[in-house]
This record gives sequence, C-alpha cells and structure tokens, in this order.
Amino acid sequence: MKEINELNLPDDLRYAEDHEWARSEKNNIRVGIDDYAQDQLGDIVYVDLPQKGDKFSKGEEFGTVESVKAVSELFIPVGGEVIEINKNLEDIPELVNNSPYDEGWMILIKPDDPAELNALMDRDAYLEMLKGQ
Amino acid sequence: MLVEEKPRTYERQRNADNKDWLFLNLPMMEYRQAWDLQSRLVMARKNNVIDSDILLLLEHPAVFTLGRRGGRENLIVSSEFLDKFGIPVIQIERGGNITYHGPGQLIAYPIVDLEVARLNVDTYVERLEETMIRTALNFDVQAHRNPLNRGIWVGNNKIGSIGIALRKGVSFHGLALNVNLSLEPFTWINPCGLKNVGVTSIKKESRQDVTMQVVRHVFINHFQTVFEIELVPSSLQEITRAMTTT
Repeated sequence: MKEINELNLPDDLRYAEDHEWARSEKNNIRVGIDDYAQDQLGDIVYVDLPQKGDKFSKGEEFGTVESVKAVSELFIPVGGEVIEINKNLEDIPELVNNSPYDEGWMILIKPDDPAELNALMDRDAYLEMLKGQ
Repeated sequence: MLVEEKPRTYERQRNADNKDWLFLNLPMMEYRQAWDLQSRLVMARKNNVIDSDILLLLEHPAVFTLGRRGGRENLIVSSEFLDKFGIPVIQIERGGNITYHGPGQLIAYPIVDLEVARLNVDTYVERLEETMIRTALNFDVQAHRNPLNRGIWVGNNKIGSIGIALRKGVSFHGLALNVNLSLEPFTWINPCGLKNVGVTSIKKESRQDVTMQVVRHVFINHFQTVFEIELVPSSLQEITRAMTTT
C-alpha cells in the first residue's frame, strides 16, 4: 500500500471523504475515485455505473467498484444528473487503477447546486484527513 | 487456551488500542438477520460508536447467495426444486458469484475499518486465507491458495471461500470455511461461477470426525495470531446496547 506522501493527488481537484474526486468542467462535474482508493482496492475487475439520466443527491450511492474479491460502494460527491458515463470501464476496468484521473473517470454530472463542489476538500485538507486516520 | 476473559467493562474497552477486537461467538443465524447486524455494525464502526473492529463467528441455515454480478445462471436446479427443500436464494452486495452456505460451514464476518488498520484489500484477503489454511492444517489438511481464484483449495476442490464488501472503508462479509457440512447442495450450482471444480470439507479431507466447536476454537487462535490482535469476547446484547445508547 502506498504511503500518503506517495499518493498522486492533483491540486486542481476536490476530494470527498469516501475518496471520490470531482473536477469542474465548464458547467459540469467529472467524478472518479482517487489514487488512495484505487491503491487500497487493488486490481479492479468490474465497475458498475448508473445510467445516463439518473439523478442523485449528494452522498447517495451511485455505483460500485469490484476488485479481486471485494465490492466497494461509490458515493456521489456532488448531487445532480448523470449526463455521461465512461463506457470504456465496461471492458477495461483496470483504467481506474492505471489512470484514475483521466481515462479512469467514471461519470459526468450536471450539478443541481454547483456550490456543493466548494464544500469538498482541496488537496491539502484531504491530505490532512488521510494523515489523521 | 481459548480466549482469555478480560476483567474489563465495555466502557474501558472503548479506550483500548486497536489491537483488541470485540468478538461475538454466535450460534446459527439466518442470512438476512446476520446481514442486518453487519450493516448496523458497519455504521457503528464508521461513526466510532464502536471504536474497535469486530469479529462475528456463526453458521447459517441452508441458503444460496448471489454476488453483485449475479450468478443465477450458475444455479443448475430449478427454483421449485429448492422450494421443496425450503432453501432461499438471496441477492447480496459482496463480490464473487453464487455460493452456498449451510450448517457445518464456519462463517467469519470481520467488521474492520481497513483505513484505520492501514490494510489494503489484498493484504486483508491474504490474512483471511492464511487463517483458513492454518486452521485446516490443524486437522492435517493441506490447503493452498490459487492465484486466479481467491479462497483456499485442496487440489481442485474448494474448501474455503472469501467474499468481502467495503462501505466507506469498513469491510464486511468475510469467509466461509467448509467444516463438516453436507456437500450435496454444491452439486446444484457451479460454485463461484466456475465449472469443473469441486468442493470439499475439513471432515472429508481429514477423514476424522471434526466438530464445529473444536474448529471454532482453533480458528480464533489462528485469527488472533495472523491479525496480531486479541479477541475480547462480547455478547450480542452488550453490542446492541452499545449501539442504541450512544
């Protein structure tokens, strides 16, 4: 398992307690799981994502990610409507391990309240949280 | 020696370091009931209402369970056939495919905050496997890992299964070790979705009469060694009280 100072945590992202990241893109928000989460889970073999058009409130479960023999629940960091999902994960789930912030993104959402993004942690606050555990 | 009973109250236990786990040695418990208990314990663990990890040991009445990715196609007999035996089929959130649980199979459900323990899933699963391997060895059964399929095996036959789920960093579900159960219900499925593999039990491999009580004792000793922790016996009543009064 990676040490906290070895984690790749880009500073243009916001982070949730449950290790999802959120990136503001024009009026939308892209979501995935971060380096800590993918490292903790190990080789990911399956990603279960919602359908386009599904709506979630902040903190609701939006999918699951399965590694060798563990299933982990995913919680949406910002409420809104799913307008795009990463279809590549269906065939190549390991993109989440290899490229958690780019090719391994999960969903794109149109937020109900864009201000929810600001309530998430920035890199420094997130690192503090990880160190505090 | 089994587990040393500690002269300490639950309140003092709450301040103990994380090398002590609460331990519930439970009798037969319906799958749904155990699922509900686990769900409540996961939340209690996450919110620090209970601030140590917890091990549940129990047995289930006969039941087939399906993982997140289904597995009904690996059930070879009809629902009518199962109804005749009164065996339910339940969909759950763990990894893996279809499996069977029944009396004579030891179930261990550790409720462990992997983030606090700084354990990754692979290491955690390896430890669960190691505990089962050592337990089987006590009865002269040499079981081994299989790099492609989690769980432990004797030759091509599966003797112990693993399936865990994570909710907010807390792991639940766990392992099932075949002790002295009837293996017939496994012939009604392709276990874990695998074809051409069999199942076996400690009793069958060791050719001795093996009792669940003895296996439980052996298992908890190995569990403590492998996880480098101490199990502090508690009761369902005590834990339920802790969850409702806080």
